[in-house]
Amino acid sequence: MIEMIKVSKTYPPETKALSDVSLSVATGEMFFLIGMSGAGKTTLLKLLCNMESPTNGLIEIGGVNIHRTRGRKLARLRQKVGVAYQDFKLLTNRTVAENIAISMEVSYKKPQHIKKRVRDLLDQLSLAGKHDTITAELSRGEQQRVALARAVANSPTLILVDEPTGNLDSTTTERVMQLLTKCNKSGATVVIATHDHSIYTNTHHRIMELQHGRLNLVRKGAS
Amino acid sequence: MTLLTVSLSVLIFAFFFLIYNNMLSVGDKLGDDLQLIVYLEEEPGPEMQEQLRKKILAFDDVEEIRFISKAEALRKFSDQLGDDRDVLDDMPQDFLPASIEVVPLKDLRSLSQVKLFSEYLAKLPAAEKVQYGQDWIERFYYFTRLISIIVLLSGGLLILTSVFMVSYTIRLTILGRQAELELLKLVGATNYYIRTPFLIEGLLQGFIGSILGLISLYSLFQWIKLKFSGPGIMSLFEFTFFQATTISTIIAISIVLCAVGSYTSMQKFLRI
Repeated sequence: MIEMIKVSKTYPPETKALSDVSLSVATGEMFFLIGMSGAGKTTLLKLLCNMESPTNGLIEIGGVNIHRTRGRKLARLRQKVGVAYQDFKLLTNRTVAENIAISMEVSYKKPQHIKKRVRDLLDQLSLAGKHDTITAELSRGEQQRVALARAVANSPTLILVDEPTGNLDSTTTERVMQLLTKCNKSGATVVIATHDHSIYTNTHHRIMELQHGRLNLVRKGAS
Repeated sequence: MTLLTVSLSVLIFAFFFLIYNNMLSVGDKLGDDLQLIVYLEEEPGPEMQEQLRKKILAFDDVEEIRFISKAEALRKFSDQLGDDRDVLDDMPQDFLPASIEVVPLKDLRSLSQVKLFSEYLAKLPAAEKVQYGQDWIERFYYFTRLISIIVLLSGGLLILTSVFMVSYTIRLTILGRQAELELLKLVGATNYYIRTPFLIEGLLQGFIGSILGLISLYSLFQWIKLKFSGPGIMSLFEFTFFQATTISTIIAISIVLCAVGSYTSMQKFLRI
């Protein structure tokens, strides 16, 4: 699903965020990317969702070089990639339901389907009572779950999640992980960038650590 | 704000265009009444009349040639004087010159053509003077030209202001909704999906703006008609509002211009 070959990213003037990173993530894999704050996890995810371009190297998603893709093709590709951003990127003047629905509306899903999917996701993330709440009025933890719900709403084939449990208590963290596992079991490739060891220590998934822009294997996933 | 600008632009342009249109129809009406009078030194006999007729027709076909004898000229003048005709009692019966009234064809409309024809008529044997209301026609001609320049300028202004204002407003809207548009791009919205609402906004602005402008002009037109409907120069001519086709064309152009303004600003700001 994901192929990264010798990818480097340097921010001007000379801040090296990633150095010669090579990574391969198989379709349907759940993969943990760990590392300290500032290690380059967010940069790597931004490169994967084409928010930023690499300084060097090649990145392919499903066999497509995403940084050479433009227009309609790129839009279609992005519809298949769900991203939960660290800064949430919520429309703070819209309701929770509207924020989640947006990712399905752009792919012209039927309104009944959108309504049902939004309700389901809100139930799964303990946000059922917040359907019509303006997102600006939510707590950080609630906003984080709304961002996650939006990422998975359109049933993408690749889900990129940046620090999904940073503002959550242990019970909610478990719920979030259950949702991501459910998505993974239904076929989605999931990449989770985190420094919260509680969510990966007891799993059998592959873990790699970013240190000073370089990627090291921590644990091989169970095959 | 954009709606107001579009309305005002349409109002300004349509106002001058309406004046221009009405001036053209007044010009046509005056052209229908146009005749050149050639005053003769002496009254021509039947042979001379035939010769003059041939000479006139040698220049161009004309609608009508009428020979007015001295006696006929006096009778006409006396009719025009009405109750004051007795002032002519002591005058000699042949003090008015004989003349030829030439009504040119309808296609002889331009000032230069009329001038050329009058110069030709002035060179006819026995011709003393040619009159066709030169001063009035020249002034009218230049006024019509001035109006046509204003129509062109205000038309250009309409195009520029509409495109500029619509694209400027949409740019402001885009800046205000930058976060939303960025998110739309990130979740996979196509250019078409993002652009459509803005394009519809532009189309509606063009449509509603032009309708408002035309309604304002119509109200102004009715007010002027009512205010100046009494006896006077305005009552000599019948002023009319635009035909349905002209109204549709103005609305269509306004819609197209606003859509272009909207589209160009989206192109600039949405490089996806």
